[in-house]
Amino acid sequence: MTSTETRTEAADALTGEIIVCQDVEKWYGDFQALRGITTTVREGEVVVVFGPSGSGKSTFLRCLNRLEEHDAGRIVIDGIELNDDLRNLEKVRSEVGMVFQQFNLFPHLTVLRNIALAPQKVRRMPRRDAEALGRELLERVGIPEQADKFPGQLSGGQQQRVAIARALAMRPKIMLFDEPTSALDPEMIKEVLDVMHNLAESGMTMIVVTHEMGFAREVADRFLFFDEGLIVEEGTPEHFFTDAREGRTKLFLSQIL
Amino acid sequence: MAAAARVVAARRPWHVRARRWARANLFSSGWNTLLTAVTLAVGGYITFALLRFVLVSADWGVIEANRRLIFLGRFPQGEEWRVWPPLWAFLLLAGASYGLWGRLRPRDAVVFVLSSAFLYAFMVEGANALLLGIGLALAIGTWAASDALVRGSRYEELAKRITVGGWALLVPFLLFMLAGFGGVRSSLWGGLLLNVVVATVAMEAALVLGVLFALGRASSLPLVSRVSALYIEVIRGAPLIAWIFIGWFVLPAFLPPILGLQDIGLVLRAMLIFSFFEGAYIAEIVRGGLQSVPRGQVEAAHAVGLGAVRTMTLIVLPQALRNVIPALVGQLITLWKDTSLVAIIALTDAVGAAQAAIAQREFIGRQAEVLLFVAFLFWTVAFVMSRLSQQLERALGVGQR
Repeated sequence: MTSTETRTEAADALTGEIIVCQDVEKWYGDFQALRGITTTVREGEVVVVFGPSGSGKSTFLRCLNRLEEHDAGRIVIDGIELNDDLRNLEKVRSEVGMVFQQFNLFPHLTVLRNIALAPQKVRRMPRRDAEALGRELLERVGIPEQADKFPGQLSGGQQQRVAIARALAMRPKIMLFDEPTSALDPEMIKEVLDVMHNLAESGMTMIVVTHEMGFAREVADRFLFFDEGLIVEEGTPEHFFTDAREGRTKLFLSQIL
Repeated sequence: MAAAARVVAARRPWHVRARRWARANLFSSGWNTLLTAVTLAVGGYITFALLRFVLVSADWGVIEANRRLIFLGRFPQGEEWRVWPPLWAFLLLAGASYGLWGRLRPRDAVVFVLSSAFLYAFMVEGANALLLGIGLALAIGTWAASDALVRGSRYEELAKRITVGGWALLVPFLLFMLAGFGGVRSSLWGGLLLNVVVATVAMEAALVLGVLFALGRASSLPLVSRVSALYIEVIRGAPLIAWIFIGWFVLPAFLPPILGLQDIGLVLRAMLIFSFFEGAYIAEIVRGGLQSVPRGQVEAAHAVGLGAVRTMTLIVLPQALRNVIPALVGQLITLWKDTSLVAIIALTDAVGAAQAAIAQREFIGRQAEVLLFVAFLFWTVAFVMSRLSQQLERALGVGQR
């Protein structure tokens, strides 16, 4: 058991594969949301996931930091296998940041406290350092002046940028984005995409569920097209926009573009 | 055009505006006119009758003669000083809190001056006047100091923490002052003091129990959640008065015969019963609060690496409690008034004292004065609690998402 783990870790490290998924399945009662997902993500890669609603893309993302538990197959994040071991869970969650469609900021805490809370409590950083880090990250997402406000006083775009800063505060190796702009008014989408763009350029490993195809085409190294719990097609953005093979892919692309 | 019309409307003389307001609010239809007339007649009559009684026909001598009984019961002569330090601490903390969190409003100042004047005119004399003066000076002093000096300074955060800590220690301090260093046996506590002691102890204990059982009921462990649900349902299944009688007659028989547990005093029994009874109701209120926190909050907390315990204490519980402040304070006000039920188990609380005063031969027929006065005392405390809860709601930004 231990020896196989060591071997896979070594293998992952060699190839730079930071996420490895093998035949991942997920059931909700009788409904199978994921029907055997196999893929790997290299360090620094930006992967965009898209597909019709109910195709399993959010479920897939949520399995990667174990907000959902997969029922079969393996998921290995940076050499750590996701299983019932709670220590593994804590390690993985502090290495994987997540940004939600509905922001999910903590409404009873100021913007700064939202960001500084986890470094302080989980990483045991002194409060002063955690808040300095918080201000630095707010600067990075372009809203340093909002530090002492409450989330309810911010626009949607600002809230989502705080959510990104909050996730970054744990210094994660991987960032997951679950439709980060779907709940935003059109004029606020760009400010959030710009932040994500910068993040991608800084070398962050990112998996993004989005239908902002213009943005996706610019930043993504690879596309995954999900349908009915399976990866139907994968490849470079160019591949998808010029010679997508599958009928379902073409149909979906023609509907959203 | 519209803006200009509004400016003109605002400049109309007051009697024109008053007539318009009355027409819009009081006499907008035949039905409303009738309602206004009936309300005015009934309200006017009640106000008149009450004022005539309070100012003209009442004989307040009965209150003057029984003031000590109503406030302290059979508390021994010469031990009254024990009540003052906790009262000072309360006034000091109240002043500091108002200065640190509140904002001075003329209405509050008027209420403060009027109630102080009332206390000095009718309630205190001799040494007590001086002792109350110390308390009021403490309240004003800490308010002025924290408002003018501490607020906005770098000591504000520290001062707030100390104040919160002080509030947490207030009830233990009260108990210590009453019972500590050769103090007064609890069977001699009485009057409004007894209501205050039982209510404050039970409020704190019931809040703790309520949160614990609410978490227990929401637990994923079947045994814990079943036991919590059982406790809540059993307690709520019988009226409070039944539980008080059970505490009086039955509880001692169920306690193990060690450590003198069977001899626990009536006051302690009353505290236990109120704590567990109100704890069940508060548990249900808190459970509602827990359910009002969106699932996404838990997911976000997990996603940044917070474990189950921290997610609950740092993220879910603060929001849950904030969402249920009105219901929670309503339940605590109910608890405050229910403490008068201890009068049925031979304790002389304020209501018990009132009954004793009414029974005195020289004050026969003075029920109205005594009961009105005691009702006024209960109302004052309930009113303060209600105002505090509104301040708390505003300070915590309820409704601000």
